[in-house]
Amino acid sequence: MCVGLSAKVVRISDGTAVVDAGGAKREVSSELLEDLEPGDYVMVHAGVAIAKITEEDDEETDQLMEELL
Amino acid sequence: MAPPVRIMEVCGTHTHEIFRLGIRKLLPKQVELISGPGCPVCVTPVGFIDEAVWLALQAGVTICTFGDLVRVPGTKMSLAGAREKGAKIQIVYSPADAEKYARLHPEEQVVFLSVGFETTTPSSCLSVKKAKEEQLENYSILTANKTMPGAYEALKGSADVFLYPGHVNAITGTALCESLTKKGVSGVVAGFTAKELLTALAVSLKRYQEGKPFFVNCYPRVVTAEGSKEAQRLVDELMESCDSEWRGLGVIPDSGMKLRKEWEMFDARVKYQIPEMEGRANPACRCGDVLQGKCKPSDCKVFGKVCTPQHPVGACMVSNEGACSAYFMYGV
Repeated sequence: MCVGLSAKVVRISDGTAVVDAGGAKREVSSELLEDLEPGDYVMVHAGVAIAKITEEDDEETDQLMEELL
Repeated sequence: MAPPVRIMEVCGTHTHEIFRLGIRKLLPKQVELISGPGCPVCVTPVGFIDEAVWLALQAGVTICTFGDLVRVPGTKMSLAGAREKGAKIQIVYSPADAEKYARLHPEEQVVFLSVGFETTTPSSCLSVKKAKEEQLENYSILTANKTMPGAYEALKGSADVFLYPGHVNAITGTALCESLTKKGVSGVVAGFTAKELLTALAVSLKRYQEGKPFFVNCYPRVVTAEGSKEAQRLVDELMESCDSEWRGLGVIPDSGMKLRKEWEMFDARVKYQIPEMEGRANPACRCGDVLQGKCKPSDCKVFGKVCTPQHPVGACMVSNEGACSAYFMYGV
């Protein structure tokens, strides 16, 4: 139940967003995020988009590893 | 050789991903990974299941719940057992679905089992707000919502480094975890992909060897310092903190959330005057010790024998995020 799902926003209307998570489309609440646009990536938890995210993990991890080494 | 280090995966999804990706096998033997209390189903005490069973059988309400709560054993029975006795149990994906079910079934009284950490609580609050807007009188929630800070404090002796649950920090921000370094508690916020987990572990080891308490946000693509202001505002509008019982950890002051007085018509405990339940877990089950990192699932006598995912004795074997379920599934 507590697993977060990253998904791409397909459509938005009136506090609700249709998101695409690996091909599966689902309606989620977008009430907690302002300025959401189709094409944005979000983290979904229990039917609510809780955070806007970037698509890939590469950049952040590369940067952290660079600082480390 | 470097000194041994105990790293606690607070989040159940971290535990599972680390197993699934085979990361445990890559680590040197002085790095010990301990599973923590970060699976909401697992830390929900037996008494909560008893309350839900009472609501379903004695008060005759329809229970809407996340699927993994259904098989968690109560003192006498699980919700699955109650269903065999005629209780109406609906499995939902989200609190919004529970509220929708109530709207479409005005002839039924509907209670959503509101378990979860900071990540799930906003979702429950949104459903209550919507029920109020729609003037639904047949929807309420049974709260067992929990907040992590008290658990970090309660567990600070159990681990050298915490892998903080990335999505909790996406809501709360990072100020609290940063301030824990003043109390000697170290940790990193970790994401969930292979690269993110390996990076978080590498940063943990490097910084631990430097010898000073530390905090690093290793999941900046999702987690910001201030967190989600909207979610924080919403939860603060509807809920206030309360003492809360955690399976294995006992009652931790101010570690739970309940609806504020002005929203109590949506609080199932108030609405149905549920009698106090003193839940009793199966004495052979060591979920409590597992959740505190005091023992590994495989140290429990019933693990894998009497207690399996098909016939769970304790909550940590039921939920997909539970440590016992992970150990069983990946054959440790």
